[in-house]
Amino acid sequence: MSRYISFRDFDWVLFIFVLLLCVLGMMEIRSATAHTKFAGAHIKQLYWIVAGIGCMFMMSLLNYQVLLERVHWMYIAAIASLMVVMIFGQKYLGARRWVKMPGGWHFQPSEWVKLILILAVAKYFADLQQRELSWSDFVKAGAIVGVPMLMVLAQPDLGTALTYIPIALMGLFLGGLRTRQALAVVLLAGLMMPLAWHGLKPYQRERLTSFLEPEADRQGSGYQVIQSLIAVGSGGIWGSSAGSQTHLSFLPVPQTDFIFAAFAEEHGFVGALSVMLLYFIVLMRLTQNAQTAPDRAGTFVVMGVVAVLSFHILVNIGMVVGFMPVTGIPLPLMSYGGSSVLFMFLALGIVMNVRMRRFVN
Amino acid sequence: MASNTPRESTKIRLYLLAACLLLWCGGICLRLVYLQIFRYGSFEQRAQRQQQRTVDVSARRGIIYDRAGRELAMSVSVDSAFAVPTEIPDLAGTVSLISRITKSDPHELLARCKAAKTFCWVARKADAETAERIRSMNLRGIYFEKESKRFYPKRELAAQVIGYVGTDDEGLSGIEREYDDQMRGKPGEMLISVDARRKWFGSVEKQPVPGENVVLTIDQQIQYIAERELQAALERTHAESGTVIVENPRTGEILALANRPTFNPNLTREITPEKLKNHAVSDVYEPGSTFKLVTISAALDEKLTTPQEVFDCQMGSIVINGMRIHDSKPHGLLPVSDILAESSDVGSIKIGMRLGDDRFYKYIRAFGFGQQTGIELPGETRGLTKPPNRWSRVSFAAISMGQEIGITPLQLAGLVSTMANDGLWAAPRIVAATTEPQSTPQMIAFHPAEQRRVISALTAAQMRQMMQGVVLHGTGKKALLEGYSSAGKTGTAQKVDPATHAYSHTKYVASFAGFAPINNPVITVAVILDSAVGLHQGGQVSAPVFQRVAQQVLEYLHTPHDVELPLSRQLLLASHRVKEQDVAEGSPDHLGDTLDVAEAAGANPAPGPIQNAAGPSSASAGTAVVPAALRKHDAIPEETPKPPLAANLPSGTATPEHLPASGTVVLDIEQGGIVVPSFTGKGVRAAIEVAQENGLDLDAVGSGLAQWQSPPAGTRVLSGSKVTVKFGR
Repeated sequence: MSRYISFRDFDWVLFIFVLLLCVLGMMEIRSATAHTKFAGAHIKQLYWIVAGIGCMFMMSLLNYQVLLERVHWMYIAAIASLMVVMIFGQKYLGARRWVKMPGGWHFQPSEWVKLILILAVAKYFADLQQRELSWSDFVKAGAIVGVPMLMVLAQPDLGTALTYIPIALMGLFLGGLRTRQALAVVLLAGLMMPLAWHGLKPYQRERLTSFLEPEADRQGSGYQVIQSLIAVGSGGIWGSSAGSQTHLSFLPVPQTDFIFAAFAEEHGFVGALSVMLLYFIVLMRLTQNAQTAPDRAGTFVVMGVVAVLSFHILVNIGMVVGFMPVTGIPLPLMSYGGSSVLFMFLALGIVMNVRMRRFVN
Repeated sequence: MASNTPRESTKIRLYLLAACLLLWCGGICLRLVYLQIFRYGSFEQRAQRQQQRTVDVSARRGIIYDRAGRELAMSVSVDSAFAVPTEIPDLAGTVSLISRITKSDPHELLARCKAAKTFCWVARKADAETAERIRSMNLRGIYFEKESKRFYPKRELAAQVIGYVGTDDEGLSGIEREYDDQMRGKPGEMLISVDARRKWFGSVEKQPVPGENVVLTIDQQIQYIAERELQAALERTHAESGTVIVENPRTGEILALANRPTFNPNLTREITPEKLKNHAVSDVYEPGSTFKLVTISAALDEKLTTPQEVFDCQMGSIVINGMRIHDSKPHGLLPVSDILAESSDVGSIKIGMRLGDDRFYKYIRAFGFGQQTGIELPGETRGLTKPPNRWSRVSFAAISMGQEIGITPLQLAGLVSTMANDGLWAAPRIVAATTEPQSTPQMIAFHPAEQRRVISALTAAQMRQMMQGVVLHGTGKKALLEGYSSAGKTGTAQKVDPATHAYSHTKYVASFAGFAPINNPVITVAVILDSAVGLHQGGQVSAPVFQRVAQQVLEYLHTPHDVELPLSRQLLLASHRVKEQDVAEGSPDHLGDTLDVAEAAGANPAPGPIQNAAGPSSASAGTAVVPAALRKHDAIPEETPKPPLAANLPSGTATPEHLPASGTVVLDIEQGGIVVPSFTGKGVRAAIEVAQENGLDLDAVGSGLAQWQSPPAGTRVLSGSKVTVKFGR
């Protein structure tokens, strides 16, 4: 079977657009961190990207169908790693998200749990051959995602936990969610909302609502939103060469969560629109790959990636332009950060994997 | 949907998802349009507001030169210290340290610093010592910025003309105020960028544009003479105030304008309104007898009388429309020329009577009374003249002898100059030109304003002759010069007591206005002394001042003698000339002698070398000249002042008090050139700045700190010479 695999079928167009975004991200990281203690971060980012590309090619060689066969083992491993974090994790800024690995590495399992969830959900729905979901399928699918999500939420890492939701939703939606079930999801979310709200700490609540009225507390909870809006707004059409919001560190974490704001300041509306367009092309290309997948599982896998990716993009950019609360979700491919980069390329690797096997069956 | 296969259903759902995605993207794009295009302006402003503070950096103010290109007011670069309060760990402590050095109020300073957060001046335009002490403390969050500070190297000289400036270099009086816009230049901006942690990054973003220079028609030497003689007169007569005007009657150029009391513009704290007053343009006084020049010249010009016509002065008493007027001295029959010479009130009234109100008023206006002369000085008054329809029946009589009318000393000088200038009235001018800030000194053509004929040349000639009579055998005998003919008119006016509105019997304004020599007048000199104690007549107190000023100025200007000198004086001058040559050759041991001789002669013609240097600038032609050669001589490093306490003034800087010892000035000018400063230990940048300040061209070799220079420090070189400095680490 594998002898039919050829890199001629590799999605080079997608790859080039992804690389373009990575390069733009690196340039912005370089500009934003110049003269700060993070100077040189773009070089580190480059290493991560190179490593990520390596991972991607390796991933594309493994047959995803084989992976899906063993997905329950991987799921167990994922849950186990999250347990390890809960018990042995490094506490940093009040949250236990990282495991210290030998050799000074820090590992954040919640990132690759995402990947396993994509596969797990794909496998689950691919195995259900009936067109309409039964209520038990509905609950089981919810549980597959819900358990690790609650564990991540307990770290606490609201942002990452939220990124699991679109995986489940995408699965349910494509898996044949009925209108009644959809209503149930909405109802459940509606019921959960006040409950979750009650469980949140005051600072978290503030963070979630401050985007609606950032001016209410300029120096406190509204600060990041205001600074981000000023950065984006002062970019104008062509961008401000000074990029002072970024360079004078008014913009918080310009190399990670607010990299789009930094980019929009330096390159203006034109730059921001170009980046949006690039992301849109990447997402459309992925969706197209999902349509041409050899089997239902392949479609689900690719669409799972699309779900996670678009969720990240939309929430991050929405946060930067003041549509969404500040949740600490990075912009995929552009934001600085090893885990994020590796996850993205591994996810793309799986997509390539699916694509390269589209003529196999 | 129900009829679709699962596969197709999935496809539809995919499209649905893509549509949602597109919708969301569209929403974000619209938001970007709103933020980056429609709200761009307001966000841009907000960004700047939180990132930048703009602080004005003062531009170098234009220089005020005298007609020979000597600096009367200049700006020097001094240090101003400012604080960035957010960077200071112990604000109160730092502020108290600084306020102790600057002797300012610590509470006020602390309050200011607290309010400012990112920028606050703590010591503006500090003198070198203060700046050095602050710098040596090495305080955190205290920075220095170069600012320019006004400095008046000649101190009190022409203080009321030049004026002074406030802390922000804004002109507050005199030329400084009148030409404030031109001299001010455009301030630069220091943009201070502040980051989110209130850390400070400073950079001068916009260089200031220096202001234009102003070249006055004033001649520094003539001004010295006028100031010194006025000072001496005030000490002698105990007058409350006084003014001396020296004018070129041909062009209206003011060569000197001295006022007492006076002030040192470097010490702004000691300035009072009385000292600031420029009496020559802002005083309105009743002229008294000097105004008879108007009465008589008008009658002559209208051919209503001749200098020889004899009037009966009725032994000093006349009744005009029921009002009896007394002369100060009884006169019998007098020709018109003697009416002027003896200053007979009765005679003048009789002449005035012939004129008639309207004709008389026409001449009064034609001579420039009751209107501003337009001189380039602030605060000029018009004087007080009433139109004839408001005259009473005795007004013409009062005005004929100089009462019921108010004039300024400058208008008086204009009146006398008209006589000297063949009947043409020339508007007095004190600014020759304004020049570009960086321009090299040059010849400046002074264009006199269009002159106005007031009386015929014949009348003017007759008047000159009669005015000489005043000096030769009339009331102004003390205005007689040695070696020069002179002419003039005395005036003694009772002051109106402001309390009783009646004429005071104790306070007089004594005036003398005249010109010399009579056939080719070179200078007009007007002297007005207010409220002299004891002797108070113009002929007694003001004429001697005229004599001393005119004598010295004429000799300084190398005016050829038109009257033979007494033998004794010829001898003195001869010996003087020999000594002068010695001085010119640079043998300093004779210097003292020269000055002694000059002083013994009762007149101190500016010693030779100055004349040599300033020769082309003499007032003969209608040009204020700034010869290039002289400028080089003038850029003497000693004159680059150590700002700005008067006590610290370099003693070499000539001041009016030092004038008798003006030899120092002579030597400075004579030696000329620039003393090469020591660059050792300076960085490249600092060295370039020092070189530029001194007018030298720096050739920097290497980098680091200066270690070697050629020519060595202390050498005198011409302005613009190249100095090679080697830098190393």
